[in-house]
Amino acid sequence: MTAFAADVMRLGQTRHTVRRSLLPARLGRALWIAPVILALTVTTLYPTVFLLALAFSKSTLGKPFRGFAGLKHFATTLQDPIFLSALVRSVAYALTTSLLQLTLGFLIALLFTSLLKAGRVLMSLVLLPLMTPPVMVGVAWKLILAPAGGLLNGTLLKYGLISEPISFLGHPLLAWLAIAVADLWQWTPFIVILCFAALSTIPEGVHEAALVDGANAWQRFRHITLPLVAAPLSSIYLLKLILSFKLFDLVYILTFGGPGFATTSAGFSIYRRAIEQFDVGRAAAETIVYGLVIGLAALPVVRIHQHFERRES
Amino acid sequence: MRLGARHIWLAVATAPIVGFFALPILYLVAVSFKTKDDVLSGHFWPTVATFANWPDAFEAADIAGFIFNSVTVSVFAGLLTIALALPSSYAVLRLKIGGKWLADVTLSSYMAPPIVALIPLFFLLKGTGLLNTRAGLVLIYGFANVPVAFWLLTPFLRRMPIEIEQAAAIDGAGPLRTLLEIVAPIIAPGIVATLIIVTVLSYNEFLFASAFTFSDATRTLPVGISLFQGDRLVNFGQMAAASLAGIAPVYLIALFMQRYLVSGLAHGGVK
Repeated sequence: MTAFAADVMRLGQTRHTVRRSLLPARLGRALWIAPVILALTVTTLYPTVFLLALAFSKSTLGKPFRGFAGLKHFATTLQDPIFLSALVRSVAYALTTSLLQLTLGFLIALLFTSLLKAGRVLMSLVLLPLMTPPVMVGVAWKLILAPAGGLLNGTLLKYGLISEPISFLGHPLLAWLAIAVADLWQWTPFIVILCFAALSTIPEGVHEAALVDGANAWQRFRHITLPLVAAPLSSIYLLKLILSFKLFDLVYILTFGGPGFATTSAGFSIYRRAIEQFDVGRAAAETIVYGLVIGLAALPVVRIHQHFERRES
Repeated sequence: MRLGARHIWLAVATAPIVGFFALPILYLVAVSFKTKDDVLSGHFWPTVATFANWPDAFEAADIAGFIFNSVTVSVFAGLLTIALALPSSYAVLRLKIGGKWLADVTLSSYMAPPIVALIPLFFLLKGTGLLNTRAGLVLIYGFANVPVAFWLLTPFLRRMPIEIEQAAAIDGAGPLRTLLEIVAPIIAPGIVATLIIVTVLSYNEFLFASAFTFSDATRTLPVGISLFQGDRLVNFGQMAAASLAGIAPVYLIALFMQRYLVSGLAHGGVK
């Protein structure tokens, strides 16, 4: 605690009580962080405890905790090939699409940086996809990809590239691709904004000095720009990874997990188990497994970020 | 001459990017003016424009009611988030209450996907009688976005010179008065950006809204639109019109507040 903070606290309370006893002062201080503690309790602590309790008990959506179930739900979860493959798909999707979007977003940010003033105008334009409700993003892409009358099929047919309309959302791999494109449309702008900010922190002089030394564009990029933004880039990747693990809305609107279970992500699978099948005990076990998998998948990225940060300081 | 070539090259690189990001929205606009038969044509623009989809969409479902629910829920939730996050982030960063661990715990709580909280919050709302109410959604969103607000406010609070608060303390202002009368006006751009972003997050939210509301009186627009498409006799023109009506409020805010938003997001920054 800084001396100043102590001053402020003392002035915040009626002077005399604070000097006489520490307890009211402590309570006063605790009051300041009570809101965030309350929010964390409701949205994180309570759900975690509740989920653990659910995962070990017999429950339905109507009546939770109707008896002890032991490890039954975890055993079912770990033996369920559909859920396990949903887990694998979710992780693979998050890791690859985040990397793709980071690369693309970084390149666009480089382009916007060199556009100077026009780049700033474009920056407010790319804000729009980010602000669009994901459900509406799904609707728009569904219209583009529709087999009957969709823009993509219409265009491909018109130029004779295909003779029959393709059901993009009815094909396992193409359906994932469709989700990835809609996701890319929505989130790459966010990455562009963050990369643009990271790039603008590089001091002007550094580039000029390298220019004087005769470094070409690629050398300047490789040996100056890239090392300077490596730490921010790794945390942008981590942030996008976290967002990707939340994938739900686009799956719901574009494919509803289909065809079959081909595009069922872990989150979507848990949602259906709880809300449609009312099997909340098993859904809770699945959620806990998913949470652990996310932690494991994110760990290497956190390590990379720490490595870059240490190198910088 | 050299400069001209460079400009052309940059424009050539930029055009497809702008095109890609504009395409889905432009197509929604086009489809919203298409007749039922025209929708199946696969052309971009309507052959004959019709305006019928717009009033029809508002009649087919209670779109106006859904938008009203979305706006009220998200505005109250946004204000609640700021009311919770501003004093706490100020306390952690400037008054050094709670320490670094609290900031770390708050931020890392954002890592868990919302699906984790779905079932527990369902039972919480059910137990408190707030299931299927707008007040329930306001509370959930208001709490859930606190980590985001914390993250966005942090750099604004950090950059503020300490001398301002010291001067306030010497003048005898308590920490609460200092925050409300001196600090808040200084970091107003950050507060505005944060308020808009958390409000839009609530406005766009779908998972909780779809699980915690089940009557037209409480549904938000994303849920309303998702039901539209569950309908077997889905009319794409109406669906596009309804979607655009829901997007419009967010785009208006983005247009008028872009300066705050870009700087808010950019500074919210990452190290």
